[in-house]
Amino acid sequence: MSSRPIAVTASRTLTIAAWIAGIAVWAALPWLLGRGSVDILVFAGLYTIAGLGVSFLLGQCGIVSLAQSVFYGIGAYSTAYGTTVLGWPIPACMLAGIVVSGLVAMLVGTPVLRLSGYFLALATLALAIMGHVLFLEWDWLTGGTLGIGGIPHLSLFGFTLNTPFRFYYFIWPCAAVVLWLHYNLLRSRTGIALRAMRDAPSAAKVAGIRVESLRVRTFILSAVLGSFAGSLFAHYVSFVSIDSFGIDRAIGFLLIAVLGGARSISGTVVGALFVTAAPNLLSRLGEIHPLLFALLLIVAVIFLPSGFGGAFADLWRRLGGSLRPTVKDGTP
Amino acid sequence: MVLSLWIQAILSGVTNGFVYGLIGLGIAVVFRGARIINAMQGDFALLGGVVAYLLVHNLGWPLPAAFLAAMLSGAVCGMLVERLLIRPTARRQGTDDSYLLVTLGGAFAVSASVLLYFGRDSYVLPGIGGDQSVDVFNAAIRVHALALIVIGTLVVIALRWFYRGTRLGQAMLAASIDPDGAQTIGINVPLVRTLTFGLGGLVGGLAGMLVTPLINLHYEMGLLLTLKGFAAAVLGGLTSPFGAVFGGLVLGLVESLAIVTVSSGYKDVIAMTILILIMIVMPQGLFGRRGRMGG
Repeated sequence: MSSRPIAVTASRTLTIAAWIAGIAVWAALPWLLGRGSVDILVFAGLYTIAGLGVSFLLGQCGIVSLAQSVFYGIGAYSTAYGTTVLGWPIPACMLAGIVVSGLVAMLVGTPVLRLSGYFLALATLALAIMGHVLFLEWDWLTGGTLGIGGIPHLSLFGFTLNTPFRFYYFIWPCAAVVLWLHYNLLRSRTGIALRAMRDAPSAAKVAGIRVESLRVRTFILSAVLGSFAGSLFAHYVSFVSIDSFGIDRAIGFLLIAVLGGARSISGTVVGALFVTAAPNLLSRLGEIHPLLFALLLIVAVIFLPSGFGGAFADLWRRLGGSLRPTVKDGTP
Repeated sequence: MVLSLWIQAILSGVTNGFVYGLIGLGIAVVFRGARIINAMQGDFALLGGVVAYLLVHNLGWPLPAAFLAAMLSGAVCGMLVERLLIRPTARRQGTDDSYLLVTLGGAFAVSASVLLYFGRDSYVLPGIGGDQSVDVFNAAIRVHALALIVIGTLVVIALRWFYRGTRLGQAMLAASIDPDGAQTIGINVPLVRTLTFGLGGLVGGLAGMLVTPLINLHYEMGLLLTLKGFAAAVLGGLTSPFGAVFGGLVLGLVESLAIVTVSSGYKDVIAMTILILIMIVMPQGLFGRRGRMGG
C-alpha cells in the first residue's frame, strides 16, 4: 500500500497527457478530414448537447424521454421565426426558445412525470408525435413541410460561422462547457439528491428531497439543452423543415443516451459520434443501412447494458486498476 | 345530410376502433403473459400484411390461404422475438426500459426490412368482399370493415375461452403471475413464455391482414399502430382482451368525432392527449379491477 501516492501521480500524469493528446487530435481533425466528415462532426457536437439532456434524465432520474425532438424543434423554430419574420437579434431568439421550451417542459412535465416505467416512456413518445403534428399543422409559424429558409449564420469576433470548418471550432467548445457544467451539477448537493432519488426514492423522500419537483426541474434542464442545440442547428444549416423534428430524431437522441451509457456524462459524446457517423458509414453499403442500424441498436441494448461509456469505464478499470485505487460506482 | 355525416363518422370510428383494438389485443396478450410491453406489435401487423400481400399478388394464392399464412408468419415472428431479443435481455437482468428499447429496435428492424424489399410506396390488399360496401342510414361501410368487426369480436371470445378453458391458457397466466410456483408444479415457463409471444404475433399477423385493405401498407405504419393499440390496451386495463377492444372503440370514436368537429390534422394530437390523460387519471383502465399494471 506504500506505493499508492506514486501510483496516483502516475495516473494524474497519464490523465493530463491523455487530455492534451485528445485536444490536439480534436484541433487537428478538421484539417485532415474532408468537408463532409467535418459536417458529421458538427452534427455530433449538436447532438451531444441535445443528447446530454436525454442522457442526464435517463441516467440520473431513470426517465426515458422520447420527447427531446419537440424541444429541439422549439429551439430551431424560435430562432428561425424570430430572426426571419420578427427580425429579432439572434441571442434574443435563442433565449426565447429556451424560455418557451422550459415553460412547455414545466407545464407538460408536472403531470406526465408522475408516471413511471412503460407509461412514462410511452407518454413521452406520445408527446413527440403531438409535437411533430403541431409543427406540421401550425404552418403560419413553422412553414409546415416547406420550412423556413434564410436563417442568418452566427458570427463571432468578425467570423461568420458559415462553413462546417468554422462551426466545428464553435460547437465543440459549447458542448464542452455544457458537459463541464453537468459534471459540476453531479458533484453538487443537487447531484447527490438526484442519485439518492434514483437509487432509493423512499429514502430520498424521508431525507427531505422533494422528488416530484426535482424530476420536473431535471426535465426542464433537459428541454433547455434540447432547445439550445435546436437553435444552434437552425443557425448552422440556415434552413429548417418538419423533417428534422420527427420521431426518428427523438429516437436518435434516446439512442445517444443508451449507446453512450446514460450514467456516464462523457459517454454521451461517444453516443453522439456513433449516432451521427454510423448511419453515414453504413449508408455506403446501400439501402440496407437502416436495417443494420436497427440490429446494432438491439445488439447494444442486449450486450452493453451500460452503453459504450460503461464498457469503456470497465475496460479502463481493468487496465488501470492499480493506477486508480478508487472508482466510485455510478459517478462519471 | 348532417345526420348521415355523423353516422359516417361513427361507422369509421367503430372500424378504426376495431383496428386499434386488434393491435391492443396483441399488446394485452403479451403483457398478460410476460409483463412486457411489446413495441413491435404494430410491426407484427405490418409483417402479416406484407406476407399476405406477397402471397396474393406475386404467387396468386387465394385470400383465405394467404390470411392463414400471414397469421402463422406473425406467430413464428413472435416466437423468434422472444428467443432472440427478450430471452437474452432477461438473462442480463433486463429492466422495463431495456425490454422496451430492445423491442423498439426490433420494430425498426422490421420497418427497415420492409423498406429494403418494398421501398417507400404504399400497397393495398384486396379486402373480404372486394370493394363492396353496405348502406347504413345513407352512410356507407365496406363489407371488409364489417368482416373485421365480426372477426375481431370472435377473436376476443376465442381468447376468453383460451384463458379460461384450456390448460395452455391457464399455464400462461400461471407463468406470468408466479413464475417460480409455475415451474414447481411442472410448467415449462420458458416454453410458455415463447408461446405467449407466439400468440401475440398470431394476433398481430391477423390484425395486419385485416387492417391492410383499410390502411395502406407502408413501412412506417408500425409504430403509430403500436401506440394507438397501446392506448386502447391501457384504456382496457392492459391485461384484458375484451378491455383492449373496448378501449380501441372508445379511442376510434373520439378520434373520428374529433375529425368532424375539429379538424382531421389534429386527429393524432387528440388521440395522444387521451392516451396521456388516461395513463395519469385512470392508470388501471376503464374497468379498474386490477392494480396499476404499467409502472
